[in-house]
This record gives sequence, structure tokens and C-alpha cells, in this order.
Amino acid sequence: MKKIILSLMLGVSVLFANINVDTTYSTFGAIVKRIGTEHVNVTVLGSSKYDPHFIVPKPSLLAKLRRADLLIINGGGLEIGWLPPLLRSANNAKIQNGAKGFLDISHFIPMIDVPVSVSRAFGDVHAQGNPHYSTDPHQVPIIAKAILNKLKQIDTHNASDYDKNYQIFIKEWQTYLTLFDTKMQECSTKKVVQYHELFNYFLNRYNIKSYGNIEPLPGVAPSSRHTIELIRMMQKEGIRTVLQDVYHEKKSAAFIADKTGARVATLPHDLGALKESDTLESFYNTIAKQICH
Amino acid sequence: MTKIIPLSMLFTLSLMADATLESIQKELETQKQKTATLESQVKALSSASTNQSASFSQNAYLPDIAFILDMSAVTRDVNNSAYNKYAIPGFMDSTDTEILFNPNRGFNLNYAEVALHSTVNPYFDAFAVFHLQNNVFEIEEAYVITRALPMGLRVKAGKFRSNFGRLNKKHHHSWHFDSQALIYEALFGPDSLKDPGLQLQWIAPTDTYLMLGLEVMQGNNAQSFGYSENANLLVTYLKSSIDIGENISMLGGVSYAKGKNASANQTDIYGIDFTLRNQFDSYSSLIWQSEYLQREKHLDTSTDKQDGFYSELIYEYNNNYSGGVRYDSITKNETDLSAYSGVDTDNLNRYTVMFEYKPFEMSRLRLSYTYDRSKIISDERRSINEVMLSLNIAAGAHSAHDY
Ligand SMILES: [Zn+2]
Repeated sequence: MKKIILSLMLGVSVLFANINVDTTYSTFGAIVKRIGTEHVNVTVLGSSKYDPHFIVPKPSLLAKLRRADLLIINGGGLEIGWLPPLLRSANNAKIQNGAKGFLDISHFIPMIDVPVSVSRAFGDVHAQGNPHYSTDPHQVPIIAKAILNKLKQIDTHNASDYDKNYQIFIKEWQTYLTLFDTKMQECSTKKVVQYHELFNYFLNRYNIKSYGNIEPLPGVAPSSRHTIELIRMMQKEGIRTVLQDVYHEKKSAAFIADKTGARVATLPHDLGALKESDTLESFYNTIAKQICH
Repeated sequence: MTKIIPLSMLFTLSLMADATLESIQKELETQKQKTATLESQVKALSSASTNQSASFSQNAYLPDIAFILDMSAVTRDVNNSAYNKYAIPGFMDSTDTEILFNPNRGFNLNYAEVALHSTVNPYFDAFAVFHLQNNVFEIEEAYVITRALPMGLRVKAGKFRSNFGRLNKKHHHSWHFDSQALIYEALFGPDSLKDPGLQLQWIAPTDTYLMLGLEVMQGNNAQSFGYSENANLLVTYLKSSIDIGENISMLGGVSYAKGKNASANQTDIYGIDFTLRNQFDSYSSLIWQSEYLQREKHLDTSTDKQDGFYSELIYEYNNNYSGGVRYDSITKNETDLSAYSGVDTDNLNRYTVMFEYKPFEMSRLRLSYTYDRSKIISDERRSINEVMLSLNIAAGAHSAHDY
């Protein structure tokens, strides 16, 4: 009888021991699941259907933040347009900036494209550098390491499990990356233009040069003048690929493709943004496949 | 004996396990040492740069600063001098009129607003909004909120806009229309419900958002309260929200405010609000927002019973263009209207349409037309036509988007 009660209590305590992890975007959510497995309940706040800069601050997100033990953000200013007021109104001390349950992944990433001078005259620039680092599969181990250390700190009880899962995941990922890099060596696409600078980390990694953006300035809608300049430049440089994300209007890219004979490659910017991007592996595979065709 | 065999087997097994474990631990140890050397090298390199900052510089601790400008060009078929003394019968007399926004035909500089935010310490965030007009400096809001209370609680202290209803908390520049909703102007005046006081909010630990709030305020609001001898305004509300799929979200609330009016009698105000938002994509949405407010204002010998509502529909076409319509109406006005004898005071209402262009995130041009049947001008019920072009600029720190 005592045993039954004990095991019942244990069962209950195991049930309740799960920690609630909220991530702002889906790629982080997938990595948390790989390391946290059955010990974590993962909630992704921002749907990958939408522009990550402009997630609608729905009140339902407050209920999710209210119960989180850990909040993992992209940082680098990507959430500045939607998260801060939610965080202040979620009444959760655990996940405030500076608390133990708050993790800004950008603090672990060597940021690229850090502007020398910042002014809104240049559009809504990312003042802290390009925050779209998670489109590069080589950032995954850095992200995973930061998440591992935080999970171990929050939930010391399951630290050894997290370590174990991390080791397995990293091993799998290194194998995956080796294969991925080999395949990318055959990628014939070397020049692209993109809508917003979402893929610079990926492009830099594989020596693909981005010559310009469809948006004239960050966060500013395309103008006909800028589009025409872009078309001329593409013709001069022989650029045959336009990188389009899932959430911006598609007319500009179609127009440019029509005028230049270039191909529009629609890329997922985050896990799940396109059909074949539901796992970490398929997410990066789809990016590669779409760019390299 | 039978017991000894399995025991010894277990022993050998654990020995073997120990052996492999030992080799792993050894490997781990060498790896750790390698990392440590690398880390110390990196540290040595990065700490090699000397401190170049100006001595005593505190720039890194500057608060977030935003400044907001609001101006307009107005045409209206009423003289400025007459318009500046309009009355909303039963709610405000021509002598009470205080117009904060767009009082004049021609040009108006409505305000320059300076908003500051800073985290004070791990326990508090501080906010201040200074509202500057030609001859007016007003502390619109100045308060602290807690960051570290347990159990889903948060306290706000200072001068702040009450969270009564849906619209009261929002500043002018985040309204969908340039004019205040009629029922809000009628019950709370242009300043809305804001006072020095204390607020306590609690969010339930449920899947569905459920928030309960309680506010104790001074009750300075002259329109509905205004008893100045002690803090006497109590506001409470319950808000909840549900989503249907990823695109449709709803927010609803019930609110109640109770306080003493200038005649030292009680005023009760009840409110219901509902918002439905359908998100088509990142930049396109349809928002339907409505509120109904009811007031019972007890006087020495009688009780005023008044209510009204607004309902607005906003369509955001993309991040550059949007448009909307609003209907305002006073639906009950049981009060002493003898001052307006001979004047038609029924069916006080207003129609507004607007069209917005945002060339860039932080600037907004808005063209609106208003057909206003809610006002008495120079003792005459007038139907006022108004066309307005307004410009709102928000510079500096990014204020996040509203729901
Ligand atoms: Zn960006």
C-alpha cells in the first residue's frame, strides 16, 4: 500500500515537474523539444505564417506567458515590435528580462551586418545587427548549447537527461551538417536578391552573394523606382534567383522575375513556414533546395 | 549460494560499467581541460581591449524615449468661437467644454508628447508620459509597475489611465479615429478616466486568458465623479480572450466603476466591451470593436440614467493603407434637460469614416469625415460636417503595436 502511494506521488510529481518553455519562434521550439524531450512543454508564441517582426500581440499570448517557467527569445531587436508590452502584462516574475527564466539567444551569436551608424532615415534597420541568424544550420549547435545550459539551470533535477539528449542531438546534427555542407558545395546559385535580409547568415556561410533587397529600406514597401533599379542591376550582374519569404506580398518578386527571367524561390524563414519544413532537418533542406534548385 | 552468484555477476557488471565510465570520464576531463585553455585564451584576447568609455558616462542607462507629434488641418461648418462652446446635452454644458484635440478650423498642433520608460531595478519598471500643448504641460501618466510579484499579480502605482473598458487605457495616438468615442467624452470628458491611484491586476493560471483588475483612484474626474474630499473611486473589471484558429481572436470585458460625484452622491458606471479581430496575413486584418457604457448618477433628489455605445469596423489593407467607419450613439438620456427646452435633444449620434496612409511605420496621415449630430452649438441643435487631415509622427524608441 505504501509503495502504491509512493509511486502515485512520484507519478504526480513527475507529471507536475514538466517545465513550461515558451519560445518566440518555432525553430527554437524545435530545438528545445530535442533537448528537453518529455521534461518540457513547449509553446511557440509567434506563428511562422507571419512576419516575425510583426507578430500580432493577441491577449491569448498573455495566458501562455503567464505560466511559463522559461522564455526563450531570438533577441537582436526582432521581438521589439510585439513582445515587451506582453511581457510586462503577463505578470510572470520568472521570465522577466534579467530573471533566471529569460534567455536571449542573440547574446551567444556573433552578429553580422551590425550597422556603423543607425538612423530611421535608413528605414527600420536592425540596430544590433542582423537578427535572422536561425536560417543558418550552423547556428543550431550554438543555440542548442545555450538552451541546454539554461534548461539545466532551471531544472537541475533532469540535468543529466538534458546532457544526454544534447549529446545525441549534437552528434546527429554534426552528421547532418557534414552531409548538408557537401551538398551545398554543388549549389550552382551564387548570386541572389532577397525581399528582406532574412538569409544573410545562410548566404554568407555558403559564399552566395546577396546583391540587394526588394524592399528599398528595411520595413518599407517596394517602390517602382527601386524595383526598376533592382531589375537593371540584376540584368547587369546576371542574377537569376529572387528569394521570397512566405509573408510579404509576392507581386514585386513576380514582376521582377518576369522582367529578368529570374526564378522566384520561396523560402521558409522559420520552422513550419512552408509545408516541407516541419522538422529542423526539413526546414534547412527546404531552404537549400529552394536556393540551389 | 544461489544468491551469491547473481550478486557477484552484478558486481562484475558494475565493475565493467565503472571501467567504461572511467574511460569516458577521463576523456571528458581532457576535453574539459582543452576547453578551459581555449576559453582562457579567448578571454585574454577579448579583455585585452582597454576601457575606452568616458569616465562617469551613464548613457547605457538612459531610458527609452519616444516623442509623438499630432497635428491637423480641419474644415468644419461651424465657427471656431461657437464650436469651442459646444454642449452635449445632459452630459456637458457649454461652460464645461474643454477641447483637447482639433478645436479649430484651420490648423491645429494638438500636442507634442514625450514618453519615457525605464527599468528601475529588478522589481520595478517606471513610465512617464508628458503631454505638451501650447500653454499646457500635463503629466498624462507617471507610474511604476512591479516586475517580480508572484502568482500572476502586478501592481501599478502613480497617475495612470484606468483599464476600465477597452478604450480608456489607450492614448489618443493609438485610437483608430481622431475624435474620442462619444460615450467616453460624455461620461469621462476629454481626459478619460485617469487619476492618481493604485491598480492590482491578476491573471488566472488558466489556458484561457482571464484577467481580474481592481483600482482605487482619487476620483478627480469632474464629469462623473469629482468628489474631492478623499479617494473614492473604485474600478473593477474582468477581461478574457479566446482564439479561433490562428487568425481569429476575440477580447471581451465587463467593467464597473463606483465613486462619489460632486454632489457627494454615488455614481455607478457599467461597461461591456467586445473586440473581434480577423488576421488575413501579417499586415492585413479586419477589426470590429464595440463598447456599451451605462451611467447611474445619483443626485440629491433625482438619479440620472444615461447610456450609449460606439461600434467601429477597421480594415487594414496592408501596412500602408487602412480605413474604417464608426457609429456613436447616446441611447438613453434620462436627466434634467430643462436648460435645453425648445431644442431637440433626442438621438444624439455621430458618423465617422476615415482613411489612413502610413508611408512608414512611425508616421500616419489620416483623412476623415465626420457627420456629428451630438452637439448643441449656440443653443441650437446642429448637424456638423467636418473634414480633417491629421498627421501623427512617433519618433525615437519603438512603441510596440497594440492589439
Ligand atoms: Zn529583419
